Amino acid sequence: MAIEDDVLVIGGGLAGATAALAAAEEGAQVRLVSYKQSTLRHASGLIDVLGYTPAGEGPLVDPFDALEGLPDGHPYERVGSEAVREALEFFDDIAGDAYDGAHTDANALVPTHGGTVKPTARYPASTAEGLASDDRDTLLVGFETLPDFEAPLAAAHLEAAGAPFAARGVTVRFPGLVRDDAKVTRYAHLLDHDEAVTTAAGETTARDALAETVRGHLEDETRVGFPAILGDDHAAEVRADLGDRLGVDVFEVPMGPPSLPGMRLEDLLYDALQEAGVRVTTGVPVVDYETDGDATRIDRVVVDRHGAEVPHRADQYVLATGGLVGKGVESERERVFEPIFDCHVPHASDRYEWFVDDVFGDQPYARFGLPVDRELRPLDAGDEPEFSNLRAAGAVLGGYDFAAEKSGSGVSLATGYVAGRRAGAEGGE
Amino acid sequence: MSDAEQPTDDGVPGDDEFEPIQVFPEAEDMDLRPGADDCYKCSTCDTNCPVAEVDDEFPGPKFQGPEQWRLKRQDDQDIDDSVMKCSNCMRCDSACPSDVPLSQMHNTARGEYVEEQMDKFSREYVRNRILANYRRLAPLGSMFPRTTNFVMGLSATQWLGEKVLGITGEREFPEFATETFREWWTKRGGAQVQNEDKRIAYFHGCYSNYNTPEVGKALVRVYEELGYEIMVPDQHCSGTPMFANGMLEDARRSAETNVRELGAAIEDGADIVASCSSCSMSLRQEYPELFDFEGTEAVAANTWDAVEYLRVHEDLEGELEGTSVGDEFENFAYHAPCHARNQGLDGQTMEVLAPIDGVEARDVGDSCSGISGTYGWKAENYETSMKIGDEMFDHMEEADAETGLTECPTCSMQMEHGTGYEITHTLEVLEAALVGSTEADSQ
Amino acid sequence: MVRDTEVLVLGGGSTGCGIARDLAMRGLEVTLVERGNLTDGTTGRMHGLLHSGGRYAVSDQASATECIEENEVLRDIAGHCVEETGGLFVQRPEDSDEYFREKLEGCRECGIPARVLSGAEAREVEPYLAEDVKRAIEVPDGAVDPFRLCVANALDAENHGARVETHAEVIDLLRDGDDIYGVEVRHESGPGKRTHATPGTTEEITAEYVVNATGAWAGRIGAMADLEVEVRPSKGVMTIMNVRQVDTVINRCRPKGDADIVVPHETTAILGTTDEEVSDPDDYPEEGWEVDQMIDTLSELVPILEEARTIRSFWGVRPLYEPPGTGTQDPTDITRDFFLLDHADRDGVSGMSSIVGGKFTTYRAMAEEISDHVCEKLGVNAACATADEPLPGSENMETLEEGMDDFGLRSPVARRSKQRLGSRASEVLETDEANPVICQCEGVTRAEIRDAVSQSGSDLNAVRIRTRASMGNCQGGFCCQNMANELHPTYDEETVRASLDELFQERWKGERHALWGEQLSQAMLNYALHATTMNRDRDPASTEAAVDFAAFDGGGR
Repeated sequence: MAIEDDVLVIGGGLAGATAALAAAEEGAQVRLVSYKQSTLRHASGLIDVLGYTPAGEGPLVDPFDALEGLPDGHPYERVGSEAVREALEFFDDIAGDAYDGAHTDANALVPTHGGTVKPTARYPASTAEGLASDDRDTLLVGFETLPDFEAPLAAAHLEAAGAPFAARGVTVRFPGLVRDDAKVTRYAHLLDHDEAVTTAAGETTARDALAETVRGHLEDETRVGFPAILGDDHAAEVRADLGDRLGVDVFEVPMGPPSLPGMRLEDLLYDALQEAGVRVTTGVPVVDYETDGDATRIDRVVVDRHGAEVPHRADQYVLATGGLVGKGVESERERVFEPIFDCHVPHASDRYEWFVDDVFGDQPYARFGLPVDRELRPLDAGDEPEFSNLRAAGAVLGGYDFAAEKSGSGVSLATGYVAGRRAGAEGGE
Repeated sequence: MSDAEQPTDDGVPGDDEFEPIQVFPEAEDMDLRPGADDCYKCSTCDTNCPVAEVDDEFPGPKFQGPEQWRLKRQDDQDIDDSVMKCSNCMRCDSACPSDVPLSQMHNTARGEYVEEQMDKFSREYVRNRILANYRRLAPLGSMFPRTTNFVMGLSATQWLGEKVLGITGEREFPEFATETFREWWTKRGGAQVQNEDKRIAYFHGCYSNYNTPEVGKALVRVYEELGYEIMVPDQHCSGTPMFANGMLEDARRSAETNVRELGAAIEDGADIVASCSSCSMSLRQEYPELFDFEGTEAVAANTWDAVEYLRVHEDLEGELEGTSVGDEFENFAYHAPCHARNQGLDGQTMEVLAPIDGVEARDVGDSCSGISGTYGWKAENYETSMKIGDEMFDHMEEADAETGLTECPTCSMQMEHGTGYEITHTLEVLEAALVGSTEADSQ
Repeated sequence: MVRDTEVLVLGGGSTGCGIARDLAMRGLEVTLVERGNLTDGTTGRMHGLLHSGGRYAVSDQASATECIEENEVLRDIAGHCVEETGGLFVQRPEDSDEYFREKLEGCRECGIPARVLSGAEAREVEPYLAEDVKRAIEVPDGAVDPFRLCVANALDAENHGARVETHAEVIDLLRDGDDIYGVEVRHESGPGKRTHATPGTTEEITAEYVVNATGAWAGRIGAMADLEVEVRPSKGVMTIMNVRQVDTVINRCRPKGDADIVVPHETTAILGTTDEEVSDPDDYPEEGWEVDQMIDTLSELVPILEEARTIRSFWGVRPLYEPPGTGTQDPTDITRDFFLLDHADRDGVSGMSSIVGGKFTTYRAMAEEISDHVCEKLGVNAACATADEPLPGSENMETLEEGMDDFGLRSPVARRSKQRLGSRASEVLETDEANPVICQCEGVTRAEIRDAVSQSGSDLNAVRIRTRASMGNCQGGFCCQNMANELHPTYDEETVRASLDELFQERWKGERHALWGEQLSQAMLNYALHATTMNRDRDPASTEAAVDFAAFDGGGR
C-alpha cells in the first residue's frame, strides 16, 4: 500500500525545505522526499534576494524597490513582492540568531573569496563582522593548503573594488594538518573539537595554535577574516574563541563548494523540519507518477528504492528538484526536459541558441526551467496547468537568471513559501 | 553498472571468427572510467565522508572515486594505498547530486589494490581476511559458545589479537549465543504459518544467526503474527565485510551461493527480507554493481528491509495504533545506520514507532557511528573510529533515553562501546508491540 | 649591414619551433616570433595522433614511410611527449574486405609493423569496441601531446641561445627591393611573458634569412611581399570526451571519410575529424552538426560514445598546399606532403622561404630539410642533430620510473605529473613548501603551475598548455581562479584579474560546443560559482561606476 501524507514535497534544498515547513505550518502532514544531497553545499550560504535587475543595473541598495519592475513570468512577479517579504520573515524566524540582515531592507555587500563584493539580503552571523560597507580596516588570512583563497590577492581586489577600508592579506600554514589535501571538513573538525595539535612550540590545541599563528601578523586591524572553515557544529563558539584570543572581531569569507556555511544552513533547515514534524525520506528518487482516471491530477508518485518501487500518495505535491545543477532540469543534444513529470520546459530547438558567446553574457540556458501560473502550477505549452495539484518552487522554475541577478536564495524562499502555504492549505483540508 | 554500459558478446551472427571471451570482467578488472562522466566536482561527497573529517591521510571520496578513476589508465597498476582507509560507509554514494557510482568505484579500486599490490603474507592481509570472513570462524565459536566467549574475553587473547593481528584490544568481542538462530528455527520445526500468498524468505545474515538470534526470532514472530509464511534458505555471508576489505573473490563466492538460494526462493513466490541494513544494502546495490550472476538483478529487485517490507505491504501504522510495550522499552536513542540511510530508510524507524503508546524515540542525528563493520576493529583505525563516533555518542547522551536502537549489528556494538547503553533492534520493539512479551513464545 | 639575428622564423607551431631548435643546435643565431601563444595555430588544434603511417598506407605510401620513420625517432627523443598506445584499424561488417587487404599489404610495403586481430581479440584489447566489429589491423600508432612537444622544442632552442617571442604578430615584411631582410612585429597587450618589449609597441627585427613557417597563414605573410602562396586551409572538427573510452588509437578501416578516428589523449579521448576547405583560417563556421557527426558516426565503432560526456570541441585548420595548376577539388585528396617554396627561385624575391603542407608527425624531418636549405643559403656547414638529441624532459627516460619517489603526492597524481614533466619531474616537484593540487581533474599541483608560470609569465593559457590545468571535466570552473591565485604576488591584482578573465573566456569557447547533459550542468555550476558566489560578472573592480558603499547595510549590531 502507498505511504500517505497530505503534502509531498520532492526535493530537499532551500525551496523544498521552505515549502515543507510552510505547508506544515498550515497543519498538513508533510513528507519531504529527496534523492541526493541538495546544492546548498555548493552555495555560499548567503540569502540573496535581488542584487541586480535583469538588465544588469546594480548593485541594488534596496531589492524591494526593483521587485515591482520585473518582467512577466519572473518568479518574483508570479508571487508578488508581499510574498517575498513574508517569506523572508518566515526565514528569519527559522534562522534566529544564525543569520543577520533583517534590521533593514537594504542589501549588504559581502566580500567574496575572489575579492569582489556581492549584494545580499541576509547573511550568516559568521560573515556579519566582515561587511564591506563597514569601514574598519581588515586583515584577511589564507592558508597555504587552501588554494581557493589567496588572501593578499583578495585584499588587493577589495581595494580595487573601492571598499572603504584598508585591507591586507597574509598566507599562513594551518596548524595540525598532516597532508596538503585535507578536506575543508577536516579543518572545521579540528577547530570544532579543538583537537590537540603539535606545533613548533609544542603540544597545544587547534584554536590556540591558529590564534598564535595569526597574532604575529595582526597590526592595527580590528577585524580578521578567514576562509569559511571555522567549525561546523560549533562555529559560533570557534569564532568567539578565536576573537577572544586575538582581541579582534573574527569573520568568515564565503567560499565555493564545498561550502561550510551552506552545510550549516542545511543543518538549520533539517533541524527545523524535524521540529515541525515533517517526515523526511532521503536517498531515494521519485521516478514516476500515476494519475487516477483524471489525467490532470496526480494520484501518487513512485519512489525507487534500489529496484523496489514504493508508491507515495498525497493530496498536494510540490516539485522543488532544482535546476540544471540540481538535476531538476535535464538535457540531451536535442531537448531540455523535466525528468519526473515531463513538465514543459521552453527552449530553442537548436542547442546553439541555448548560449551566447560571452561567458558572462545573457545566457539563455541560465533561464531554463518551468513556466508557472500565479499559483505556481507548472504550465504546459498551451499555458494550461499541467496538473491541478502540482506546484513548483526554486531553481526548477524558469524565466530568471539567478546567477546574474543574485536572486537564487530569494526565489527559492519566496516560491517555496508560497507553494508550501497553498499546498498545505489545500492538502490539509 | 548496467548492461547498456558493458558490452556483451552474446550471439554475434555470422562472425565466423567469434571466440567467447569474458566481457563482464572480474570486479577488480572493471573499467569504471566512464563513471567519472557524471562528476561535476562539487565535493558534496567529501563533506559527507566521516573519515576525511577526522583523518587527513584519507583524501576523501572524490579523489578515491571519480578523480582517481579518470586519471587512471588501463595499464596503470598502482592504486593509491589510501583507498584502504575508506570505511565503506557508502555515505558518499547517497550524497552525490550527480549520480557518480562512488561506492562501486571504491569497491573496485580496493579489490584491485588488494589483488595487485597487497602482500598476501602481510599481517594486514591476514587480519583483513580473518575479519572479512567472520562467518567462517563463527561456526567454530558457536560450537562451544561459552568457552569461546570466555577465551575471547581474556586479556591475553585481546593482547594477542592486537599484537599479532592488529585487531584492537579496546573492544570486547561480541558474545556468541548459546543457541544460533538456525538451531532455534530447526528446533521449533521451521515455519508455523503456511501461506501461498504471503511468503517471505529471511536473510538473517551472520550476526543474527550467531550472536543476536533474538532479532531473528523477533522477525519470525512479527511476520507470523501478520500471517506470513517464512522460509529460511541456505545462505552465506552477504559480503559486506569482504567488499570493505577488498576481498572480492571471497565476496564473489558468497554472493554466488546467496543469489542461487535466494533466487530459488523468489521462484517459490517469496520476497527476500533482511533484518540487517548492511545485508540488504549488499544484496540490493553491491551485488548488481559488482557481479553478473544469473538472477542477480532479480534478487536485488526483490530484496527489502524487514520493516520497510511491512510498511509497504501491510497497514503497519494501523496495526501499531494503540499498541504498547512493556516497561523494558520506553525511551530510545535511535541511530540510523549509514547503510539504511543509503536505502532511504533513515526516517522510517521514527515514523513506525510513533503510533506505539509510551514509546519515545529520539533520532540522534545523521552522523556515522564510526565503526563501519570491520573498520573500527582494526587497531590502526580504532582512534579514528571513536573520533567519528563522538558526535553520535554526544547526541545519545543528550537524548533522554537509556536504550539505544538501531538496525545494524556493528553500529550497535559501537553504540554500546561508546555509551554503555544496552542496544536493541527495531524488530524487537515491533515484536513487543504486536506480539507481546518474548517470554510467552518459548517454543 | 648588421642584422639582429641570422635566421628569423615566423610561426610558433611545431614546424617553426622545430626549425628554431634545429638551427640553434647547429650554432646559428635564431629568433622566432609567434602572434599568439606557442601552438596557437594548427599545432594546438590537432587530434594528438602520432602516425604509424597506417592511415596513408594505401593512399600515399611516401608519406606513410616517412611517418613510421619519424614515429620511431620521436619515441626516442620525445619520450615524455609520446604515449605508446598502439593503434587499431577496425573493420565493421559493412566495410570492404578488399580495402582491409590493401591496408594490410600497404602497411607491410611501407615497413609498418602490422598484425591482424579477430573481432574478439580486438575487443579484448578494447572492451568498449562494438560487438559486431569484424576484425582489426594492429599498428604502432601513438598519442602525442603537441603542446608539450612544441614547448620542449622552443625551450631547447632557447637553451641553445635562440630568442622566442610570443604574442608578437608580424605586421609587415621589411624589404629592400627584391630582398626581404626582416619583419616588423607588434607586441600584443595581452598578458604574456615579455622580456624583450613593452606591450603595444612595435619592433623591427632584421635577419639574414627569414623562414615563413606560419602554415595556414603563410599566404598572408606572402601577400605582404606580393608573393602568392597558394595555401588551401581545410578545417577539421575534434570533439573531446571526458574520459578515455579507449586506450588504443581506433581508426575505421575504410577509404577516406569523416569521423573515423578516436585518439586516447592524456585523460581524454579525442574524436576526429572532418576535412572541409575554408577561405579564411581565422574565420570559419563551427557548427553543431559537425560535433553530432563525430559522435554518431564513431559510436558505430565504440557505442558507449553515444551517451558519453563530451567536454568541448575545437576546430583546426590544415595548412594544405598544392602546386599551382594541380586543381584538386576535394581537400581530402590534397597531398599531406610538405613543400619548401624558395621565393628567390620561385618569385625572384630573395631572403625568404615559405614552408607549407606537411603534418605534425614529420615536423622534425621537415625542420631538418628546411634547416639544411637555410644553411646552404647562408653558407653554413653544420650537421643536424635533432634525431639523436633528446628534448628537454626526455633525457634518461628509462631511469624515470625507478629511483624516483612520489614527491609526497598520491598515486595517480604523481604518475600523471611525472609523465608530463618527464626527466624534469624531480626538479619541479621536489619542494619543501605546501604543494596542494590546484587542478583536480588533471592532477596538477602548485609546484607544476609555478614552474609553468616561470616559463611563460602571466598568460594562464600558456600555463594551461604546459600543465593541462583547467583542461579536465570542469573546464576550469573550479580551478581557473586557483591558477590565477598562483600569479600573485609576482603579478599585480589587475594583471591577475585580466589573465583569469582571459582563461575563463577561452575555456568557455570550446565548452559551448558540448552544452547538453552533464556538461550543461557543469556549465551552469561554473557560471553560478563565478557569477553568484564570487560576483565576477559584475565585479565592481572591473566596472566603470563606483559603488556607494555607505548606502548599503553596514551591519545591525
